[in-house]
Amino acid sequence: MAAAKQDPHVIGPDIYPQMLGRADAARAMMTLRSPAALTRAQAAMETCKGPMRKAILQYVEDLEAAGGDSARVYEKVHDIRGFAETVGMVTTGRIAESLCRYMDDMERAGRPVDATILALHVAAIARAARAEEGDQEIGEMVAAELAVLVARRLSEIERG
Amino acid sequence: MSGAGFENIRALIVEDNAHMRSLLRALLNSAGIKEVAEAAHGGTALTVLRERKSDLVLSDLAMKPMDGLEFTRQVRNSEQSPNPFVPIIMITGHTERYRVEAARDAGVTEFLAKPITAANLFSRIAEIIERPRPFVRCDSYFGPDRRRKAIENYAGPWRRQDDFQDRELR
Repeated sequence: MAAAKQDPHVIGPDIYPQMLGRADAARAMMTLRSPAALTRAQAAMETCKGPMRKAILQYVEDLEAAGGDSARVYEKVHDIRGFAETVGMVTTGRIAESLCRYMDDMERAGRPVDATILALHVAAIARAARAEEGDQEIGEMVAAELAVLVARRLSEIERG
Repeated sequence: MSGAGFENIRALIVEDNAHMRSLLRALLNSAGIKEVAEAAHGGTALTVLRERKSDLVLSDLAMKPMDGLEFTRQVRNSEQSPNPFVPIIMITGHTERYRVEAARDAGVTEFLAKPITAANLFSRIAEIIERPRPFVRCDSYFGPDRRRKAIENYAGPWRRQDDFQDRELR
């Protein structure tokens, strides 16, 4: 016998336990909206980005070594897509996204992936990742040198 | 005022990539959430949830052996779930409509698309605190109300008991 259809039952936010009590919620909202917390968070992200970019380059090597093993390719490209854009490797992330979508769509359609499309994406991801990492290194060097130059000029001005 | 308000919050990160776990932990820490547990997939996360109170969950979508959707369904519907109401923020690069709808239908509270930024994560946490959503229980679903907006001139069909109460009050 089929179960009788149940009417939807709504449980209001005042009924179930909330993440924070009222007083803490007000303080937490001030924290989340404070520029200081956002600056701290952005600084924390910056410290994570270096190791993450290195990890992406390792994934790229794994990706190239995977050859035509589409399961392995998907695993690595999923990792790359997962955080390339978060660490500023935008082009790498977009190409990885394109390959992930293609592989997802082919799986949903029950069709095999085209080896040429796979190989072209892998080559493009590798090229983009190495270029973006190179650009990043150059950018950091230029920024560091400019910071030294600015500090020196300011110091000269202070000394009169 | 470093992290005021979050002193007693315990968070759980469910993510298969160690680097992404570190990044999320760093972001939570910077908001003042210091008690952070980690799990590499949904199965481990369920164990962590049973052993340790968690007030907030950040979960990836694609993980093996248990993905974020199944994890969310288990949290919302399992009789062993210690807190079916816990807020779950689903963080993923999979932004196709069918995946977002699947996450919504599994019972996630908020959806955060990669690339992650501190501002976006903070805004999702703020949304949970400032505008907690009612939960809905029916034959096929238990989780946060999936209706985000009240449509002014909606003529029905009306499916919920409180829809009728609301209309009588107007």
